[in-house]
Amino acid sequence: MNLEFGRLALVLLFAIIPVVGIALGINSPGLRARIPLLVAFFAGAIPIISLYVPKKFLSGPTGMSPRLDQWLIIVYAFAILLGVVNVLQNSTRKIARRESGWPFSIVLLVGLFATGGAGIYGAVSRHGITSLPDGTATPFKWIQDQFFQPLQSTIFALLAFFMASAAFRAFRARNTEATILLFAGGLVMAGRVPLLEFLAAPFPPLQPAAAGASQALGKLTEWIMDTPNGAAQSGIIIGAALGASSMAIRVILGIERGYLGLGRGE
Amino acid sequence: MANVLDKLLSLDRRWIFLLVLLCVGTPIVLPIGLPVATTGSTRAAFDYIEALKPGDYVWISFDYGPSSAPENDPMAEAILRQCFAKKIRVIVCAFYPLGGLGLATNSLAKVTAQFPNVRYGEDYVNLGYKDGAAAAMRRLGENIAEAFPADVNGTSLTQIPIMKGVRSIRQVQLVVSVATGVIGEYWITQVHSQIGTPIIIGPTAVAAPKYYAYLNAGQLVGMLGGMKGAAEYEKLLSARYPDMARFYQTTRGFTATKGMDGQTVIHAVIILFILIGNIAYMSRRAAQKKGA
Amino acid sequence: MHIPGIETWIAAFLTLAAMSFLYKDNPFFRFAESLFAGISLGYFIGITLNQTLVPNLIQPLHQDFAQNWDLLVPGLLGVLLYMRYVPKIGWISRYALSIYVAYYIGLDFTRRIHGEVLPQLARAIVPLTQFDSHTIFYSLIFALGVFSVLIYFFFSKEQDAVTRRVARLGIWFLMISFGAAFGFTVMGRVALLIGRLNFLILDWIYPMVGLG
Repeated sequence: MNLEFGRLALVLLFAIIPVVGIALGINSPGLRARIPLLVAFFAGAIPIISLYVPKKFLSGPTGMSPRLDQWLIIVYAFAILLGVVNVLQNSTRKIARRESGWPFSIVLLVGLFATGGAGIYGAVSRHGITSLPDGTATPFKWIQDQFFQPLQSTIFALLAFFMASAAFRAFRARNTEATILLFAGGLVMAGRVPLLEFLAAPFPPLQPAAAGASQALGKLTEWIMDTPNGAAQSGIIIGAALGASSMAIRVILGIERGYLGLGRGE
Repeated sequence: MANVLDKLLSLDRRWIFLLVLLCVGTPIVLPIGLPVATTGSTRAAFDYIEALKPGDYVWISFDYGPSSAPENDPMAEAILRQCFAKKIRVIVCAFYPLGGLGLATNSLAKVTAQFPNVRYGEDYVNLGYKDGAAAAMRRLGENIAEAFPADVNGTSLTQIPIMKGVRSIRQVQLVVSVATGVIGEYWITQVHSQIGTPIIIGPTAVAAPKYYAYLNAGQLVGMLGGMKGAAEYEKLLSARYPDMARFYQTTRGFTATKGMDGQTVIHAVIILFILIGNIAYMSRRAAQKKGA
Repeated sequence: MHIPGIETWIAAFLTLAAMSFLYKDNPFFRFAESLFAGISLGYFIGITLNQTLVPNLIQPLHQDFAQNWDLLVPGLLGVLLYMRYVPKIGWISRYALSIYVAYYIGLDFTRRIHGEVLPQLARAIVPLTQFDSHTIFYSLIFALGVFSVLIYFFFSKEQDAVTRRVARLGIWFLMISFGAAFGFTVMGRVALLIGRLNFLILDWIYPMVGLG
C-alpha cells in the first residue's frame, strides 16, 4: 500500500477528522458547524501555501497538494450532478400532484433518463461515449448530435431576435452616459463588419472611398477596443480580483459561512 | 412625422423578428461576398503558429459548447488545419461540460478527413473531457497523466506514441483555448501566469472585449474575436495555403467568411433601429418640452 | 432532389419548435424546452461518468488499489455531498461542501493575484519618460482609464469633490467599454442565428427542393 506522508496527511485531514466530526456532531449540534470550518481552512490553505513553500511533503510530486488536486477533480464530478437530484425531486412532485404543465415534466424525465442511460451504457459496456468499435456513433453521441446540439444552438440563437427588438424599443440616449454607450456601440458595430462596402455596393464610383473609410473605421474600432475598453476591462478585472481574493480569505478563515447554510454567529 | 415614428415604435415585435429573420437568411440564399479585413490580434495568432516547427506540440482546448459553435467551430477547424499542414503535433481536450467533447470529436473528424496522412495517436490525440478545470490545469503543469490518465476512448497515455514526448504542459509550445466563458481565463491566469506557456484565445464575441485587457498586458500572444476573428483566420489561412482555400469556397457547409455577409446586413439594420428609436425619443421629448 | 435523412428531420423539427416561441408560447416550444432541459442533465451524467469518474476514480481503484487506495476518500466525499437531500442528516454534507468550496476558492485566490491583479497593474503603470503620440494615445489614456475606473469602484469611503470627478471619468470609460461590449454581443448572438438558418436552409430545405 502506498503510505506516503502526503496521502496520509490528506486522509487524516479530510477523512478522519470529518468522521470524528460526524460522530461528535450526532450528540453535539454545536460542533456540526465548527469542524467543517476547520476542514475548510486546510482545504483552502494547502493549494495557496504549496505555491510559495517548495517543501516536498507539500508541493513535491508525492506531496499533499498534487494529490489534493486529483481528489478535487473527482469531487467536482460529483458536485456537478447535484442539480440532477433537485430536478428529479421537483419533476416527480409536479407529476404526482398533476400541477400545471406536468406532461412536460414527463418529457424532461424521458430526456434525462434516455441520455443518462446512454451514458451509463457507455461506461458499463466500456464503449465510451464517442464511437463504437465499428466507427458508428454510440447512442450517447447520437442523442448529442441529433437532439442536444440543435436544441442548445437554437435556444441561444433566439437571443438575436430579442436583442434586435430591445435595440429598437429600449436603447435610448437619455443622458450623457447612455449617449456615450450608444455611440461607442454604434462605432464598434460599424467598424467590425464591412458595412461601408455593403452600403456602397450598388454605387461602384463610391466603392474605393468606402473601402478606405472602412479601413479607417476598422482602425478606430481596434483603438477603442485596445485602449478605452482595455482600460475599463482592466480596472474591472483588478477590482473584481481584489474582491474575490478578499472573499477567498474570508471563506478560508471561516469568517464567511453562508455557503454552508450558516448565518452570523452560527 | 412624429405620428409615423410613434406607429413604428408601437409595432408588434413579431414584425421585427421577421425582419431579422429575412436580413440574416437572405445573404445565405443570395451570398454577397463582402471582403474581410484582418486585425492585429488575429494576425499575431496566425503568425505565432506559422513560426512553430514540424514536431512542435500545440494543445487545443475545446472550451465551448453548441451555444457558440457557429463562432468557435470555424476558429478551431482553421487552427487544426494550419497545425496539420505544418505537421505540428496536436493534443486536444475539452473543459466545457455542456458539449465541448462532442464538438471536439466532430471537428477532429471533419478536419482529419481532409488530411488523410494524419494518424491518431501519432500526429494528434483526443484526451477527452475532464471536470474541475482549475484543478486539472494545476496537474497539467507537472504531470498530464495525473489529470488525464487516458484518452477519450480509455487508452492509457503510456500506450499513445504522441504522448511519449510530453510529460507536462511545459513541453508544449502553445496552448489554444477556443472558449466561451471563464475557462479561457483559467488558461491565462493559471497556466500562463504560473507556468509561462504561451496562450492564444478564440473567445466568443460576447466574451472578447474582456480578453483585450489580457492581450494588452502581454498575457496572450494572439486572439480571434468571435465570428469576425474566425473569418479573418480563414482568410489568412487561404492566403498562406492556397490549396486550403477550397474548404472555404464551398457553397454548402458553414464558414465564418460566409457568415460575415449576414452579420453586415443585420448590423446595418440594428444601427438603423437604434437611430429610428432615438429620433422618435428626441422628437417626443422636444414636443413635451414645447407643450410644457 | 433528395429527401434529407431522419437525423436532419429531427434536428429541423427541434429547431423550428424552439423558434416557434418567437410567434408565441406554445406546446411545441414547451416540449422542446423540457426535452432540452432533460437531455442537458442526462448529458452531465454521461460525460462526468465516462470522462472523469471512470478514468480518474473507478479504473485506478480497480487496476491498482494498493497505489490508489486514498481515492476512496474523494469518492466518499462526493457521495456525502448528496446527504443534503436527506433531511435528518443533511448537516453531514457540510464536510464535503466545505472542502469543495474552500479548495476551489483557494485556487481562485492564487489565480486572481498572479494572473489578474499583478499583470494588469503592471500594464497600467507606464513610464512617462517621453510624450510621443503613442504614449499619449495608448499608455496615458490607458492608465487614466484603469485608475479612474478603480476609483469609481472604491465604495469604502464617501467620495469628495476630486474623487467624484475622477469617478465620473471612470464611468465614461465604463460606458465606452459597455457600448463596445454591446457591439460585440450583437455579433455574437447573430452568429448563432446565422448558424441555425444555415442548417435549415442549406442542409434541410435545399436538398428537398433539389438545390443541394
